[in-house]
Amino acid sequence: MQIIYWIKENLFGSKKDIILTLLGAYFIYFIASIFFEFVFTSDWTLIEVNRKILLVGIFPEDQMWRIWTVFSIFSILVSATLAYSYKLNIRISIFYVAFLAIPFLIFTTINLLPYVLAILLSSAIAYTLIYYMKHRLDRKNLSRILIVSWGIFLPSLFLILILFGGPKVTLWGGFFVNLILAIIAILAGFPLGVFLAIGRASSYKLIKLVSVIFIETFRGAPLIAWLFFAWFVLPNFLPNIFSLNDINLVIRAMIVLSLFSSAYIAEVIRGGLQSIPKGQIEASTALGLGPIMELLFIVLPQAIRVVIPAIVSTFIAIFKDTSLVFILGITDLLRIGRLIPEQQQEFYGKSIETLLVVALMFWVVSIILSQISRSIENRLNLSN
Amino acid sequence: MSKKISVETKDVTKFFGSFQALKGITADIYEGEVVVVLGPSGSGKSTYIRTLNGLEEHDSGLIKVNGTELNNNVKNIEKIRSEVGMVFQQFNLFPHLSVLRNITLAPQKVKKLPKSEVDDLAMSLLERVGIPEQAQKFPAQLSGGQQQRVAIARALAMQPKIMLFDEPTSALDPEMIKEVLDVMIELAQSGMTMICVTHEMGFAKEVADRFLFFDEGLIVESGTPEHFFENPQEDRTKLFLSQIL
Repeated sequence: MQIIYWIKENLFGSKKDIILTLLGAYFIYFIASIFFEFVFTSDWTLIEVNRKILLVGIFPEDQMWRIWTVFSIFSILVSATLAYSYKLNIRISIFYVAFLAIPFLIFTTINLLPYVLAILLSSAIAYTLIYYMKHRLDRKNLSRILIVSWGIFLPSLFLILILFGGPKVTLWGGFFVNLILAIIAILAGFPLGVFLAIGRASSYKLIKLVSVIFIETFRGAPLIAWLFFAWFVLPNFLPNIFSLNDINLVIRAMIVLSLFSSAYIAEVIRGGLQSIPKGQIEASTALGLGPIMELLFIVLPQAIRVVIPAIVSTFIAIFKDTSLVFILGITDLLRIGRLIPEQQQEFYGKSIETLLVVALMFWVVSIILSQISRSIENRLNLSN
Repeated sequence: MSKKISVETKDVTKFFGSFQALKGITADIYEGEVVVVLGPSGSGKSTYIRTLNGLEEHDSGLIKVNGTELNNNVKNIEKIRSEVGMVFQQFNLFPHLSVLRNITLAPQKVKKLPKSEVDDLAMSLLERVGIPEQAQKFPAQLSGGQQQRVAIARALAMQPKIMLFDEPTSALDPEMIKEVLDVMIELAQSGMTMICVTHEMGFAKEVADRFLFFDEGLIVESGTPEHFFENPQEDRTKLFLSQIL
């Protein structure tokens, strides 16, 4: 009854409302009918056949355990962190399940099902375990365990992928490469961005100058230009030891993306630093906290809180920008989406299907990131 | 009262650009003394107490706190700040930290005291200011009066020898002023050396040992409360007192 009342009130309240509602409904119908007609009449075998290539490129089949390992540890750690940080919220959980179901439905085949179920099960166990432990155990210890686990996992991610005869970095591809480039760019770009923001706000002229030059240089040219730079120019800058001047293009992409994102993150955080009232600094000065402790305990925590939405949208932008690495010849998800209809005769010219799936994958991750940012914001609002 | 000098100031001047906020302030404040600084806005009274712990750097003159000279020597500044607590008009609590953490942060990080000891100290200070039950809340969840009492507890946690109050009740709703003044009166009676910029004449009458009246960057008149209330000498002082009483 409430719904009918709502519709009556909001959609058919006046003559103007009725006209707008009808126009809007027709527009939605028009777009949706084109879209769904395409989805239901197309032949999706090209996605079925190319599942693995879209996800991991030409990563050797007998090395796939490396990616599975990384993926399962990541999934378990994320579940544990969520269990620790948030109360179980049915609405948000349904949201996550619904969005994660999209890649699951597209990419999971019968023979992969055992792996996927094993990962889901272990993540669920980790979630339940941490959820019940956080009320019993000292929260401090639990958070330490989580932070240490992440600290160990993130560097060892590379060791798992590379050590003991792992495939060459050149063989990395597909959505896996987008994700890993984004993770690196964010993890390296964020701390560097914090340092640059502090440097730019510093009263030491030299530090300030260096930070400003760095930030403005990297923001001053498009990412594509920097990627070309990494391809043609960067080797000349690196010393000719340990064959550093011949480093892999994936690593070069990582360096460029990290530096580029750090410049943007620095500017976002600088905005946060400026929003801290002068009284906060006076109070900590009067208490005798020196400049470093003042920054660590008073200014930075507050500054970063203020700009979390902006930081997350920078993260999302970085994640989507990773699709530009095709310029370096890296076969990321978008590049593969373009290659399949060009090179596989049976799917010749079927770009729309692959591009739709590519877009969907980027979309799912971006939506999940923005939901995480909303959850963090809500929690900070509660504590304030 | 012992006559040991706590804060010594001699010909202190301070410029903001071309505006001279302090035009040579000379005053000695003795140990255990409660001094109330009065004056119209813009008279330099806030600037004066802010120079005493180096929040504002004075341009010339001498400031000595418990025998330590306030100059560019970082060691001296650190020593003075560890002996001088300050309470602000806008409370300036750290909004991202719980009440308890607001109080324990500085003793733990600056004095390197162990957490258990600092927690006990913080709880006893919260008892003293009358809000032990608020320890786990965040500043935004407290009323203005409660926030200011936390700010006093936070300053006291560093175990200062001198407390500076910069208009501590000016930002409060009228019904919350008393709870803060009660804490300040208790503090004054416990023998703390206090320098207060305030317009609360009831409080001043009750605990002040001495008034300093500022106008246009100078001390125009100083003396006991009785002197001020019964027999002010300067015209400027009479005018000011007639307006606020």
